[in-house]
Amino acid sequence: MKANYNIISSLKLGLAIFFLFFSTAVVLAQDSDAMEDANIVLSFVDDASSHKIIAKATDKNGEPIADLDLYFYVKRTFSNLPFGDVFNTTDEDGTVAVDFPKDLPGDHEGNVTIFVKIKDSDLYNDQTIETVKNWGVPTALDSTTQKRTLWAAGANAPIPLVLIISSLIVSIWFIIFYIVHILVRISKIRSIKT
Amino acid sequence: MKKEDHKVQKFDTRKENDLFKTLILTSKRYKLWVAFLLLVILIGLFAYYRQLKYGLVVTAMRDYTSWGVYISNFVFFVAISLVGSLFSSILKLNKNEWAKPLTRISEIIAVSAIICAAAIIIVDMGRPDRFFNVIRYMRIQSPIIWDVIIISTYLVVSFLLLYLSVLPDLALCRDRLKDIPKWKKRLYKITAINWSNDPEQVRLLHKITKILSIAVLPVAFAIHTVTSWLFATTWRPGWDSTNLGPYFVSGAFMAGAAIIIIAMYFIRQNLKLKAYIREDHFDKMGKLLVLLSLVYLYFNINEYLGPAFKMVGVEGEHITELFAGKYAPMYWLVQIGGLILPIALLLFKSMRKPLPISIISTLVILGAWFKRFLIVIPSLQHPYLPIQDVPESYRHYVPTWEEWMITLASFAWFLLIITILIKLIPALPVQKHDHVSKSNPILNLIKNES
Repeated sequence: MKANYNIISSLKLGLAIFFLFFSTAVVLAQDSDAMEDANIVLSFVDDASSHKIIAKATDKNGEPIADLDLYFYVKRTFSNLPFGDVFNTTDEDGTVAVDFPKDLPGDHEGNVTIFVKIKDSDLYNDQTIETVKNWGVPTALDSTTQKRTLWAAGANAPIPLVLIISSLIVSIWFIIFYIVHILVRISKIRSIKT
Repeated sequence: MKKEDHKVQKFDTRKENDLFKTLILTSKRYKLWVAFLLLVILIGLFAYYRQLKYGLVVTAMRDYTSWGVYISNFVFFVAISLVGSLFSSILKLNKNEWAKPLTRISEIIAVSAIICAAAIIIVDMGRPDRFFNVIRYMRIQSPIIWDVIIISTYLVVSFLLLYLSVLPDLALCRDRLKDIPKWKKRLYKITAINWSNDPEQVRLLHKITKILSIAVLPVAFAIHTVTSWLFATTWRPGWDSTNLGPYFVSGAFMAGAAIIIIAMYFIRQNLKLKAYIREDHFDKMGKLLVLLSLVYLYFNINEYLGPAFKMVGVEGEHITELFAGKYAPMYWLVQIGGLILPIALLLFKSMRKPLPISIISTLVILGAWFKRFLIVIPSLQHPYLPIQDVPESYRHYVPTWEEWMITLASFAWFLLIITILIKLIPALPVQKHDHVSKSNPILNLIKNES
């Protein structure tokens, strides 16, 4: 009984070790085989009526990649704003064209940062391509933040306010120090006499 | 020292005898009272330890009611502290001779109240260790900074007011009190800064006392007006009012007069000073309290009539909440019991006798405290920009036991400072230094010592 038991358990152990090696090998093989970097080239079409961004995806052999989902974003203050359709999939030439909205605010020169991304593809690694284009509506700098206002930082406090408060503080503390000074004089009167 | 050895020192005049006796003798009742106050403070300290350990989450303050019972208590103490200026400045400059014996009590109360007010602000901070960042990164545009500046200034001014008036008495304590512990002798010696009733000293002291009694007035008005601006500059219903400055200042003077009456009563009873705090003092204080309450009533009508007539939006909701909503019982108790009833009662002479007027003043003080609660909390529960999907706990504010205990401890702390101060310095002025200079120029105290 005991011998039988030993044989069965060593068989089980052997089987387990075999599966472990086998599955590791499969996973390693998948990784090295399946995922590769796609090559994306962006071109921009500017005309009076629209801004268009055309992305062309090719694989490592230079062959166009069809049916690849690309994601288009424009950088905003707190997060990225997606643009284009819900899915922007490359055609058999590996290209996809997306309209860029004309009314997005850019920086003070009208520059916007555009991201084109591959995300969660089964065949290609994630990647992000970043470009800056002068396609936004220029926004005037909010100059009030640089000015002396009630809502500015402490260093930009309005001068009249600073002057009024400082003069009030100085006058009352001048009186306080004067009184303390007289108290010191009072304390010295006896010591002079003795 | 054995009891039989202990002979109470005798003094030259009856006044000195009466006033110094309390500084030498410590009764059992006094010790029990101090022990009780210390116990309350200890429980408060435990609550504060919990607040430090777990953060402000142990309080009931949330995103809506971010100023709770601490800030109402702060406003109350700032109000009380104004009483120093009422006596040392307004009544003094108007030559109200009768009020002179009460000046010392008012200054002692002012000092302890402003200490408590400053301490409560620290208690209200979630991270008190970052207090100095308020100074380091200060924005002079912020009313909170104005308040920090004015409170620290008034703290110093209150100390000076008390010190200038007590200085000749400290010298008297130094020279006359023999049967006291060494540390007390040292304390009197240091604090009396060589005062010897020298005519030049008297002249200088007179001069700075006068300067300070004028200078304290704008500071006192500023401290409570700036405190009211903390509210008036915040966009909430009930605070969006130009009336808030005088409304707060007049309320402060009323509460101050009431607390003086209560203090007068207890000091008169416990220190046996009936000959000095007389019935006519109570009578006059009663009349003063009526006057101050009438002014406060006037500003109250101003404060509520406009919004209650128009009932605009959230402002109307706020008024409804106060007049007929969940705060209505407290509101009407405060307005009738703490304001209208005291005015009506104090018009009768028999009500201005020591005991009845002290009870009425207690009503005024309770009303004043809850009035500050009503000014701070209901306003916060009606923001102009409500938050979406707010948790239920944001909509209500019922202070937790930690908040109540810390608040009670602040009262105990306030009373403890007064209790200790009247044990160290005479509760009423012993020396009238205005007379000394004329009739008795040099009381050569140095000779007396040797």
